[in-house]
Amino acid sequence: MSDKKNSFMSWLDRRLPVTENLERHLTKHPVPKKVNFFYIFGALLMVVFMVQVVTGIWLMMFYTNTEEGAFASVEYIMRDVDYGWLMRYMHSTGASAFFLLMYFHMFRGLLYGSYQKPKELVWLFGCFLLFLLMAEGFLGYVLPWGQMSYWAANVILSLFGAIPFIGPDLQVWIQGDYVLSGITLSRFFALHVVVVPLLMIALVVFHIFALHEVGAGNPEGVDIEKHRDEKGMPLDGAPFHPYKTFSALPAIGIFFIVFFAIVFFAPTGGGYFIEKPNFEEADFLKTPEHIAPVWYYAPFYSILRAVTFGIPFLGITSKFLGFIIFAASIAILFVVPWLDRSNVQSIRYKGIYSKVAMVLFAASFVTLGYLGTKPVNELRTLIAQICTVFYFAPFILMPIYTKYEKTKEVPERL
Amino acid sequence: MRFLTTLLIFITLDSFAAGENKCGSLEKCDEYSATVHDTYSLQRGLGIYMNYCSSCHTLKMQRWNRLQRDLDIPETILLEDLITTPDTKASDFMSFGLPEVSPIGAPDLTLRTRVRGEDWIYTYLRTFYNDPNQPSGTNNLVYEGTSMPNVLAGLQGSQELVGKGKLKQTTQGTQTKEEFDESMRDLVNFLAYVAEPARVTREKNGFFVILFFIVFTAVMWLLYREYAKEIK
Repeated sequence: MSDKKNSFMSWLDRRLPVTENLERHLTKHPVPKKVNFFYIFGALLMVVFMVQVVTGIWLMMFYTNTEEGAFASVEYIMRDVDYGWLMRYMHSTGASAFFLLMYFHMFRGLLYGSYQKPKELVWLFGCFLLFLLMAEGFLGYVLPWGQMSYWAANVILSLFGAIPFIGPDLQVWIQGDYVLSGITLSRFFALHVVVVPLLMIALVVFHIFALHEVGAGNPEGVDIEKHRDEKGMPLDGAPFHPYKTFSALPAIGIFFIVFFAIVFFAPTGGGYFIEKPNFEEADFLKTPEHIAPVWYYAPFYSILRAVTFGIPFLGITSKFLGFIIFAASIAILFVVPWLDRSNVQSIRYKGIYSKVAMVLFAASFVTLGYLGTKPVNELRTLIAQICTVFYFAPFILMPIYTKYEKTKEVPERL
Repeated sequence: MRFLTTLLIFITLDSFAAGENKCGSLEKCDEYSATVHDTYSLQRGLGIYMNYCSSCHTLKMQRWNRLQRDLDIPETILLEDLITTPDTKASDFMSFGLPEVSPIGAPDLTLRTRVRGEDWIYTYLRTFYNDPNQPSGTNNLVYEGTSMPNVLAGLQGSQELVGKGKLKQTTQGTQTKEEFDESMRDLVNFLAYVAEPARVTREKNGFFVILFFIVFTAVMWLLYREYAKEIK
């Protein structure tokens, strides 16, 4: 039996490098023995991505991408399709879970320097993935064609219209119509189900290949490649499979307990995962009282709204300046590998300024998120402005404080 | 840390300050979260809906036979007593022969509890009062200037406005206040069911799915422990 198997594998291996790649990426790929819970989010993100793809395919079987049919087809899925409601709620809850895990995953990267040389590309691919996820979420939120789908999309698309000179034409080009209409809906559908997911899959592959080239990090920032045993396996490392796969499984179980608790008992997430006005069909004559983004865009939306002033002599309106700063809040993440001049990776060995910066960043991100879901008033705008400064300051000042602050010595072994 | 504390204080103060939980001219809606597991309540709600609501409001995403199945309604009652419009099949939507777009602007109520919230509907239905300045002769505390007349006055009796957000009963209807509140809870339960018929199975089956994942996690945890011993 085993002879047969081996001859089959050698037949296959001569034509397709199966064993080689399995060993390289799974059975012999070394990962650090000791990591903390922050290192589970990558695996969970893969799980959620799969949930989204599978549930998305099922939804696509029954969804109608027309202005007349979209809203009704979603209700058809909720009522007449067997377990259609489950697919839909898993998909909508999955979107929120995707962002939550992504934010934790990236925060881990910031805390433990997972972007530092030689991991710049891993981080860059990850940032592109965040950008694509935001685009994917936005496109997907338009598809149910509810009131909030329509008006939130209007808010975002009008941002393109605020760009000087080319703005209005650009907006019409993106929409495919003079107003947001069924034409926009069907192109968003095409982008949501084909273009963006394909790009995401490609980038996930690049993200993981790049990671396996440079090796996974750990909370200590220790280079595990330095000390190896006689077989070449790092002393502080263990093969990815079975050790990491089996440590991920209980975490996946816990994740699904929480995930399905929401899916089955609070699928609208108290109006934060599926907003109330979205149960009313889109009506271009009736603007909802308060247009709020879904929670996962709220921090960025807050930054956008915090900019209440323009630069009149340059012809920049407050709306356009808001758009620039909003775009910058995501763009700045891309350059973090080149902002950090520290000689250590992990926050554990960095100086006090880095620690304060991370706390400020996290606190302002959460506060901006809270404010983004609420209507504006003067006090809130002021807090949002302060938090916007605290959001950017840790990055902009990073080259200075990471270079001059006193760091602790990193141990040799984990 | 001090910054964090200050922010937290700001946020806490903020959520009280703005008064965004306002419910029309009331400070807050009366709290009620519907249940869809009391079939008798849903049936009573259906009865109220058929008698008081269905001559203006459609339920055009709800099928008759789905209702029959979920609410345990005998087929004869469905076909003889509930479906009164000709040429309507059991698999049709509950549009009661009303026009596609209501000429008097009465909205379709299929998803209404999900748009407004169960609290809002429950409070709205109970806070009509006489107002001679309104075309319908009645006004509402939750939805000022509503064009809906107080069709439930026969059950509730009529109310007058005495001071801001306060109502006083002036005439007695066929039900006492407690009975009427109970009826409105039945109606809101029914509307919550119609807004999401899957909720009945969703809330029942969710328990087993979560139980499965608890067992799964426990087994995987034990397995993980065995593997973790090897790399210590």
